Amino acid sequence: MKLFPQIYKIEITSHHKSIIAREKEILADKIQEAGIPLNSYCNKKGLCGKCMVEIVKGELPPLSEKEAYFLKKKKLGPRYRLACLYGIKGNLEIRIPEESLIQEMLILTTGIRETLSLNPAVKKYFLKLKKPEIKLPLSLIELVEKELGKKVLITDLGLLKDLPRLVEKSNFQLTIALKDGREIIAIEEGDTAQRAFGLAIDIGTTTLVTEVVDIISGESLGTATSKNGQAKYGADVVSRISFAYLKPENLERLNEAVLQSLNEMIANLLWKKGIKESEIYEVAIAGNTSMNHFFLGIPVESLAVAPFYSVFTHLPQLRAGSLGLKINQNARVYISPNIQSFVGGDISAGLVASGFEAKEGNFLYIDLGTNGEIVLKKKHKFLATSTAAGPAFEGMNISCGMLALSGAIYKAEFKKRLVLKTINEAPPLGICGTGLIDLIAILIEQGKISPKGNISHKEKKVWLAKNIFIDQKDVRELQLAVAAIRCGIRLILKRSKLRLKDLDGILIAGAFGNYLNIENSMKIGLLPSLDANKITFIGNASLAGARAFLLSPEIRKRAENLVRKIEFFSPAADPLFQEYFIDSLELKPYDS
Amino acid sequence: MVKLLREIAQSVEKGDSSSLKELTQRALSEKICPEEILNDGLIRGMDEVGIKFKKNEIFIPEVLISTRAMKAGLEILRPHFFTLPQRLKGKIVMGTVKGDLHDIGKKIVCLVLESAGYEVIDIGIDTPKEKFLNVVKKESPDILGMSALLTTTMIYMREVIEILERKNLRQRVKVIIGGGPVTQSFAEEIKADGYAPNAALALSLVERLLKKKRRPE
Repeated sequence: MKLFPQIYKIEITSHHKSIIAREKEILADKIQEAGIPLNSYCNKKGLCGKCMVEIVKGELPPLSEKEAYFLKKKKLGPRYRLACLYGIKGNLEIRIPEESLIQEMLILTTGIRETLSLNPAVKKYFLKLKKPEIKLPLSLIELVEKELGKKVLITDLGLLKDLPRLVEKSNFQLTIALKDGREIIAIEEGDTAQRAFGLAIDIGTTTLVTEVVDIISGESLGTATSKNGQAKYGADVVSRISFAYLKPENLERLNEAVLQSLNEMIANLLWKKGIKESEIYEVAIAGNTSMNHFFLGIPVESLAVAPFYSVFTHLPQLRAGSLGLKINQNARVYISPNIQSFVGGDISAGLVASGFEAKEGNFLYIDLGTNGEIVLKKKHKFLATSTAAGPAFEGMNISCGMLALSGAIYKAEFKKRLVLKTINEAPPLGICGTGLIDLIAILIEQGKISPKGNISHKEKKVWLAKNIFIDQKDVRELQLAVAAIRCGIRLILKRSKLRLKDLDGILIAGAFGNYLNIENSMKIGLLPSLDANKITFIGNASLAGARAFLLSPEIRKRAENLVRKIEFFSPAADPLFQEYFIDSLELKPYDS
Repeated sequence: MVKLLREIAQSVEKGDSSSLKELTQRALSEKICPEEILNDGLIRGMDEVGIKFKKNEIFIPEVLISTRAMKAGLEILRPHFFTLPQRLKGKIVMGTVKGDLHDIGKKIVCLVLESAGYEVIDIGIDTPKEKFLNVVKKESPDILGMSALLTTTMIYMREVIEILERKNLRQRVKVIIGGGPVTQSFAEEIKADGYAPNAALALSLVERLLKKKRRPE
């Protein structure tokens, strides 16, 4: 009898590490303890085949049935074993292939290198059920539990009704989708474990963006952009809330409008990518407070009049079927937590995506959308506000305006003559927000528009291309949008007793494409004239945050904790609002 | 004389306080009647500002600058108002209704009215009907002005008018309304006495209403 278990040495050649292990310890545990991010997708149950390591030297146990299946499927050599099933019995030399490591993923594709460890809430497992025997007639669910090695939960009776037929048809070979390691949300015939997808959705007041993501690899497979169908009921949040306030059935109309836009966009995107609607198991949604309420069909009376409060902050995950999304009806929909009042889930998503909380010093986060939100971090304190910028940044309410879609003038430069760039280099169809900012900056520089916003030409119009012009009302729309943001920045700094020069950085997020010209934004006073190195344009951070929610429940927790720390103030309630707002209407640079 | 008054109006439009002061001074020394300077100079200038604002040719800051210039001109006229008939003076209470925090437009209207010689009491934003009622009781204004920027809060104006009616105070005061979503037809619907789309027109509205109000006396 051994009093002390034997101690063995394990050489990990792929990582140039040498570790110590005791008899019977599990290889996967030891690898992870050594700080190597070995994939344990199925929580070390031998179900997913993702922790294969090569046993270069040492004891090679016989292949289990599962290992044999994965070896064949992944075309691996005979010396590969699952680290989670490997009990140590002697000295070892192993090699861990790249595919068996958890990929650290960049959350944002632009600006900031914030990462996450892939660990989706919904996981799929291929199971070969043992057939029931006369001496032990286990139920089908018990058979599933036996294979999974744990208890499961089913809340959808439909799945149970389908189960016997599926089992019969597939000869007891099934793939299940398990949410949070416990609840079965889908049962499919055969091995479909490699096909699991999720949708990250940014519900903007004006623009909707959907991204389809492979939730096993974490890879983004493509995005689609469309207009929020609610726009016909009002261009901004306030007018839509007013519309909903008018008659009870209007809330339903707003809800239907956004659902219709989303469902059409999703169907198109999935069709293009060859993905079935039933293969979408998870959705994460980032939207401002009003958009969240409309999407869920929750009344907005409390957002209609001061003190402007929301119905919910964060919610449990909801069934897609109960919300009217045309995807797998059991898919779970996560709504990014709202902060307070009009500052909603789009901002909490963007803040976690950009690692805002962990930044050292004083930082501003600005989301340039129809609702312009601003968050200030002063050391460990967070303050947020929301300003009604209007849809100008997204090219709406502008005579020749359009979303940042093919054919939109997104960029303008003056090099001896005016050079207009359009998205996809298509013939110009209109002007999107970033193009408008460039154009106004150039026209002011040339004296064709005064900083006060007056177009000098008698016609009160500036022609840019055939059928495309900027008129006096367009300039006013942009002036209001710019003033809202600038006034918000000045108020939030004033409240926090900070000056512009005390800022260590500004993060600019926005759904209007990735083309914001920082220099021109400073010229018209949209952004303060700071050292350009301090300003980082991070693109659609809300969408990136939604994608992060899909891939890591840990990021969701981070957002839910963060929103509780953020204080809100309403700019209109500030005594300085009027003075600041009027001062901000002139389109000129500012640095204090 | 006409030329001088036109110049005064133009200075209001341009928002040029210093030349406006000088011109107003000159008009007085040329013995032009102060009422004429006010109506055909300053107020005409402000009317022009209102029209241009409506056409988007000028914007909120220019309106404010013009308003400030007008006020400067009025400071010079004010000592001469004692000789003016009573009807130019009046008391006006202004407030943004409950649930609404916006008051840029309302403040501009207050400034314009004040500079035109009215006593203006601004009771602020987010004003409940009880407060409107109490101020009307206490101050007995000639005019009560209500403002709202949101369609959701605009409908509160009806409640204020209703409570004035219930308390038999409605006949004592003329009610005028304004703000982004407010329209003439809404004013008629809730039985307000008047609506104006901007500050300049609010001034002419007030003048008109007070003339009417005083005539029967």
